[in-house]
Amino acid sequence: MSPHSTPGDQRTTHFGYQEVPIEEKASRVADVFHSVAARYDVMNDLMSFGVHRLWKRLTIERSGVRPGHSVLDIAGGTGDLTLKFSRMVGPRGRVVLADINESMLRVGRDKLLDNGVGGNVEYVQANAECLPFPDNSFDCITIAFGLRNVTDKDAALRSMARVLKPGGRLLVLEFSKPTNPLLTRAYDEYSFRLLPLMGQMVANDPDSYRYLAESIRMHPDQETLKAMMEGAGLERVEYTNLTGGIVALHRGIKL
Amino acid sequence: MTLTPSLLLAGIERSLNALLARDLAAPARLSRLAGSRLLLRLEHPALTVLLSFHHHGVDLMRQEEPDEGMADTVVELDCETLGELLGGESMERLMFHGKLAVRGRVHLLEEVRDLFFDLDIDWEGELARWLGDVPAHSLAEGLRRMARWGLRAQQEMRADIAEYVFEEARLLPGRQQIETLRDHLTELEVAADRLEARLARLRRRLESEAES
Repeated sequence: MSPHSTPGDQRTTHFGYQEVPIEEKASRVADVFHSVAARYDVMNDLMSFGVHRLWKRLTIERSGVRPGHSVLDIAGGTGDLTLKFSRMVGPRGRVVLADINESMLRVGRDKLLDNGVGGNVEYVQANAECLPFPDNSFDCITIAFGLRNVTDKDAALRSMARVLKPGGRLLVLEFSKPTNPLLTRAYDEYSFRLLPLMGQMVANDPDSYRYLAESIRMHPDQETLKAMMEGAGLERVEYTNLTGGIVALHRGIKL
Repeated sequence: MTLTPSLLLAGIERSLNALLARDLAAPARLSRLAGSRLLLRLEHPALTVLLSFHHHGVDLMRQEEPDEGMADTVVELDCETLGELLGGESMERLMFHGKLAVRGRVHLLEEVRDLFFDLDIDWEGELARWLGDVPAHSLAEGLRRMARWGLRAQQEMRADIAEYVFEEARLLPGRQQIETLRDHLTELEVAADRLEARLARLRRRLESEAES
């Protein structure tokens, strides 16, 4: 799942179904999220019929976060997880909302401030592949629907494992491979026909939502991601399929 | 199935917070509870939920690996007892009967119960947000009138039925008649006891005279 070389001797990676030079992917992904940032929450609710809130809720339940903990919410987008974590860690703890995309970070910060969240939350624009934090800094790291947009996923997982404290947990919530063939067919129809249409109607941006569907298909399946997390140095890695495997929650511990 | 308990808890959390948001007095009581954590251990079904209070409401979180150290109060009970507790049953009575176990800050459970019992929701104000002041007041006044009429009609109907059953058709004895009958039966019982004792004494006397 890392960038690879082509016969033309140019290192490429995938951007949805397209092969693009690795230098280009980050800026292309950035363009997608600049484009959807303003309507990100509305589209999430529409596309998942609101179920994304339950997926995130389960992630929070499995995080084991306690008062006084340090939490890093990577690709935190509009701050859904950070909002809950900031209450869970209390005034003695801290939550860092990190996102590579300035637009998403700004929307997230505004939303959190509107909800009265401050004090224990920090905002950092950061690339998941090279996190700007010291080793062993966080009790828990979450990345929800962000890993598939990262150019070098292995580097990102290694970086997360580095900044995780011994005993800390990494939770990766990400689209995955449905386990039921019938569900797979229905899901494909939905993703490639209905999703771009909704993107067109609500966000006036069908391409971004086509990218979303394609990037989901290019993302590693449950077992592959588990192996990648183990390869990054995490242990006791396990995953839970949600909604028939459309989404999977992986959890690994740094020992 | 993994998401079902989360879905239920999300629904309950949303409803509770919506109710709290509609009570003007709730923020003051919530601010006293903010930061408190209550761990609720249900036995049947086996479910552990952490209630974390904050200034805007409460978060409910299922705990797969519960840690009692992170809670101010730990409450253990079954579903039936939870129903009784929410129905207003005395906490002391439930604890005395061994149905409810509370560890840590016992008062927190009382405060939480009071928070929800003392909710005073301004439904008319809430309606006014959607319909406007005048239609909301008219609708609320209509509902109040209907509720008063319903209560009065219910009381009158009960009185009419009682009158028919006890006085007109005499299908059942009235309360006063039952009490008079009970008094007579008690007198009869006492008299019968006395008679029995007297007979026993006479029998003993006759037997002693026959022996002598």
